[in-house]
Amino acid sequence: MSAIETAVSGNPKKRLSSGLTVTQKVFVRSRNGGATKVVREHYLRNDIPCLSKSCKRCPNIVKANAQGEFPNFVLETDPLFLKNGKIGKHYLILDTNIILSAIDLIESNLSFYDVIIPQTALEEVRNKSFPIYLRVRALCKNEEKRFIVFHNEFKEETFLNRNKDESINDYNDRLIREVAKFYAKHLSDVGINVVLLTNDRNNLSKALNENIITKTLSDYVELLPNADELRDLVPSEFSNDFSRPNEVSYPEYFSTSRINGGIKNGTLYQGSITISSYNFLEGSVSVPSLPKPLLVIGRENLNRAFNGDLCVVELLPRDKWRKPSSTIVDDEVINKNDVADNEDNEIIISDQERRLLTQEAIEAQNSKEIQPTGRVVGIIKRSWRLYVGQIAPNSINQSHTGNAPKSCFVILMDRTLPKIRIRTRRAKELQGKRIVIGVDSWPSTSKYPEGHFVRTLGEIESAEAETEALLLEHDVEYSPFSKNVLDCLPKEGHDWKVPVDLQADEFIKKRKDLRDKLVCSIDPPGCVDIDDALHAVKLPNGNYEVGVHIADVTNFVKSGTALDHEGANRGTSVYLVDKRIDMLPMLLGTDLCSLKPYVDRFAFSVLWELDENADIVNVNFTKSIIKSREAFSYEQAQLRIDNPSQKDDLTEGMRVLLKLSKILKQKRLDAGALNLASPEVKVYMDSETADPGEVEIKKLLDTNSLVEEFMLLANISVARKIYDAFPQTAMLRRHAPPPATNFETLNNMLTIRKKMYVSLESSKALADSLDRCVDPEDPYFNTLLRIMVTRCMMAAEYFSSGSYSYPEFRHYGLAVDIYTHFTSPIRRYCDVVAHRQLAAAIGYETLDPSHRDKNKMELIVRNINKRHRNAQFAGRASIEYYVGQVMRNNESKQEGYIIKIFSNGIVVLVPKFGVESLIKLDQLSNDANTSEFDENNYSLKFKDTNGKMRTVHIFDKCEVEVKSKLDEATGKRRAQLILV
Amino acid sequence: MILSPAERSYLYDSLSVQPPVRPDARSAHQFRPIEASCSFLPNSNGSSRVRLSDGGEAIVSVKTQVVLTKNESSLISIDVDINKERDDSNFIKNLISSLESILLKKFPIEKLKLTERYSFKVYIDCFILSHNSYPLGLLSLCIYLALKSTRLPLLTSTVNDREIEEQPTFNDDWEASKKLFEPSEHQDDPPLLFVVGIIGNNVFIDPSNEEEEVSENGLIVGFANGEIVPPVQSTNLSNRDSKGISPKHILKAYSMVRNCGKEVVKALNTVVSSDDDVFTSIY
Repeated sequence: MSAIETAVSGNPKKRLSSGLTVTQKVFVRSRNGGATKVVREHYLRNDIPCLSKSCKRCPNIVKANAQGEFPNFVLETDPLFLKNGKIGKHYLILDTNIILSAIDLIESNLSFYDVIIPQTALEEVRNKSFPIYLRVRALCKNEEKRFIVFHNEFKEETFLNRNKDESINDYNDRLIREVAKFYAKHLSDVGINVVLLTNDRNNLSKALNENIITKTLSDYVELLPNADELRDLVPSEFSNDFSRPNEVSYPEYFSTSRINGGIKNGTLYQGSITISSYNFLEGSVSVPSLPKPLLVIGRENLNRAFNGDLCVVELLPRDKWRKPSSTIVDDEVINKNDVADNEDNEIIISDQERRLLTQEAIEAQNSKEIQPTGRVVGIIKRSWRLYVGQIAPNSINQSHTGNAPKSCFVILMDRTLPKIRIRTRRAKELQGKRIVIGVDSWPSTSKYPEGHFVRTLGEIESAEAETEALLLEHDVEYSPFSKNVLDCLPKEGHDWKVPVDLQADEFIKKRKDLRDKLVCSIDPPGCVDIDDALHAVKLPNGNYEVGVHIADVTNFVKSGTALDHEGANRGTSVYLVDKRIDMLPMLLGTDLCSLKPYVDRFAFSVLWELDENADIVNVNFTKSIIKSREAFSYEQAQLRIDNPSQKDDLTEGMRVLLKLSKILKQKRLDAGALNLASPEVKVYMDSETADPGEVEIKKLLDTNSLVEEFMLLANISVARKIYDAFPQTAMLRRHAPPPATNFETLNNMLTIRKKMYVSLESSKALADSLDRCVDPEDPYFNTLLRIMVTRCMMAAEYFSSGSYSYPEFRHYGLAVDIYTHFTSPIRRYCDVVAHRQLAAAIGYETLDPSHRDKNKMELIVRNINKRHRNAQFAGRASIEYYVGQVMRNNESKQEGYIIKIFSNGIVVLVPKFGVESLIKLDQLSNDANTSEFDENNYSLKFKDTNGKMRTVHIFDKCEVEVKSKLDEATGKRRAQLILV
Repeated sequence: MILSPAERSYLYDSLSVQPPVRPDARSAHQFRPIEASCSFLPNSNGSSRVRLSDGGEAIVSVKTQVVLTKNESSLISIDVDINKERDDSNFIKNLISSLESILLKKFPIEKLKLTERYSFKVYIDCFILSHNSYPLGLLSLCIYLALKSTRLPLLTSTVNDREIEEQPTFNDDWEASKKLFEPSEHQDDPPLLFVVGIIGNNVFIDPSNEEEEVSENGLIVGFANGEIVPPVQSTNLSNRDSKGISPKHILKAYSMVRNCGKEVVKALNTVVSSDDDVFTSIY
């Protein structure tokens, strides 16, 4: 019982009972500059199976787990047979570096089945990249791929102690080789081999010495029957096989200890870098100690940072500070001389000097002169994902044939990102197609990052390829709902009905039966997912009873189910011009939850008693059952209300709603609500060919306003209620007031050119001053100004009430003190959470702990904010694409307004198409030298193509010829405007 | 300890003759047998345990922490905890003060320095489980062993961080840690304190409980690297009034300590170098 055995490697283990042995692990943990000796007991078992269906011994040693389940033997009896290399039937064992670099290839359906992931490799992957770790775990759950995790460090036979002076990496490699040796021996009697895949030279040679069948990834792929398809997917190896001369030398990043030390004492700064969309060599990083973002200018200073990376920056010495550029710089126009000097020797700047520099930087930023600049000295987290792009036409040698892989460049759709170098044998074939690539690395000696090909989407400009490209680029989850998710839906499917017995269970009892109310819904034409319905009726006491009924989505989407997780992840439905990516399965969105007319439906109702002045006398929230009488479109509802011969109760109710909505709107405007315009357009599709036919700016009817006002009122009432019940974790929405600095430029331009001014004292002052800024000669000017003001605004965001204090709950644009989204749970996850919190607030059901936990709410909120933003951008990009297609067929002369002036170009907005585009100086004039840029007066003087001197100013109305031009490089269609 | 007058006079007389006759037949410069082991606490950087033949037992644990040098007044911190004694009693305070006075002066501080800004701070925690005679000698031996077995994590980041601050990072392999006191260098061993009893003209080292009871006076003598070092202080080992000390006593004590000190150090070093297995000592 107390026998202490010494394993072969000379380290002690002690057997505690049959099947359980304990050993010891000692290591040093460095954290925050300290060093702690950590001692862990490590337990070893002898009942961990190999999980191969062919094995005869392992089924006898397994034991049931706590739930009484036995491990699932997954690996096939008949795995892939390879004749070449005398491998035969085999399983694969993956080394960590393979998983990290080639995860896309491993996930693809073309290869990699029956794979063993050693526990050692899995933990290394987890420490290096959590997203890839999650993908590996998902692969292990995928029944078709047959991946298993083999717990080699818990299994007595495969556990090894670390040798003296052995590095962690060598130790892990040795453990993985031990797994290979174990399997080779264990399965030798059933004729199945194991192949260890590793790209690490060291590990490879040691494995070969130990007689393990080992291959590098590319060697293994060559042996596969479908090698031709797979070759290109193999990521570029970071070895220097294909010797590339050192094109350029980027400065090396600082060591981790230096970065940590610098961040801790405030001499280095950490932040997300944003690359300017006008100048791809200029980025800015928001730094807490400086009032304005720190500029990072030039290729060398950007030091391989991608737009959106979390990086570490340091201030440059004073002589390198610059003015922010007022020029537009494109990829093609890079002037090497602009790049920061690299003749200077590396000067060591002490921490003390850095602190003084920071002080100077703060002062400089508060003045308007030279702005402090910095450079990137480290990247903490890359924002790399799969990108969409196409092969740059001029990067392929056209005369080249043959099968050797050649490097070529891929230009990404996102213009703030650099070109990516990939190696492919199919470059000619892939030209003209939209392709998806992944980025692998950016060595300091390479001018461009290295990547690999993943798959193609289709021809450039084809609708399917463009739509998919758009969704990928905006990180929208569009894959079909998985089986797990669909299993959460009611079994009856479309036959589900509201139960007849209203006393059947405790929950149904709490619902109010409102089927006698004359409820109707008003939505855009062709809408099938009806979120909301209204009713109104005059009460005997002269007041009005108004009800807003919202689809009761949370009745079907319960917390913690796969359906809920999927909805939480998607965060919102995405609306493209011709397509809609649903947040929840269609069964719910368009049928069971949708408040369709003539059928009984569950709803969540907000009932007010409003007086003549639309003031709230009291409010009630209840789960209910309703029956909508009609589903109107905005136009139909307007017609019905305006038709004097319609005198039935439903129409009267609608008239009451309209009357009250007008009063509510006036009250809001009096309180200072903003009425800003955005150049929203609607694209009309030709119904037969689905070709875009026409573009129209959306018009607003009274009935639009009707629905909007009551939705706002409902959102506000619900916000108050759930904040009252859950002050720390209520799901709310806020809109911060815009900082004055955002308006500086705009107000300058207004004062100088139009002698007008926009006041920022309060939202009311803003609204009023906006109303006053009218140009008697140009009615559109006011709308133009509103569009530009919208761009100065902060974005509204979702938040959990515990994260801010009450005054910060304010929604600036709506001029209310507290707000949430409650009225569209079918297409927004925020509303789903608000529904659950309201249901708990009224005592209908208990609230799931995740909606009461501050940290979990933080995570939810962060995700839905991100998804909301992405959905907006995706929607706009979709409109942009289709507008581009419309313009392709209709070139015309249109009115435009100048909204930005640079020293080498202007930006013009065309209201009819809602499109804005840059016109460069060399397109305006043949003689660039005669141009004069007056920064202070926001004007540009140049000699136009007719030889006449012409001056243009900001806000000027002009005429432009609108053409649609396909950019060869990016494959994007842009509006090309020519000043007339 | 209560002695009858007969016992008392017997002990006194035997210890006063030349050479002194000690109750357990030791010679004047002989120590009582001890049992010592090192490195048995897995979570400490160094540890030791010494048991004395009269039942006294002490455990010392050494732990380290990375600190900013300028914020610390002293890089060594000693704490003594005696079973059944109050932590703030004079007894303990005196012990700590004797230990500090030698350890703080005779400790090679430069071994603790990591970078220009950071150093290791050493916490020496002593726990006396039981004692019958004055525990200072026992404790000092135990501390010596603990310090000799202490290992410090190996620094992997830069040493020169005066101008540019770096966060210290360490090698995560515990086997790569270096010993605080390298076994080869004899120049730099930790100091020791010896307790010497005085009766009549005789001095004898490591007095037992009875010997302390009848002693007229006592001396605490510091010893490091072959030399007598301060502190040298007198102490009353018995409950009765002490008699004076003459310079002869001090000189005799010095030469005795000098001689046996070397042997003690050699013996202790042998204990340290026999590689003890932490794991086995637990299981």
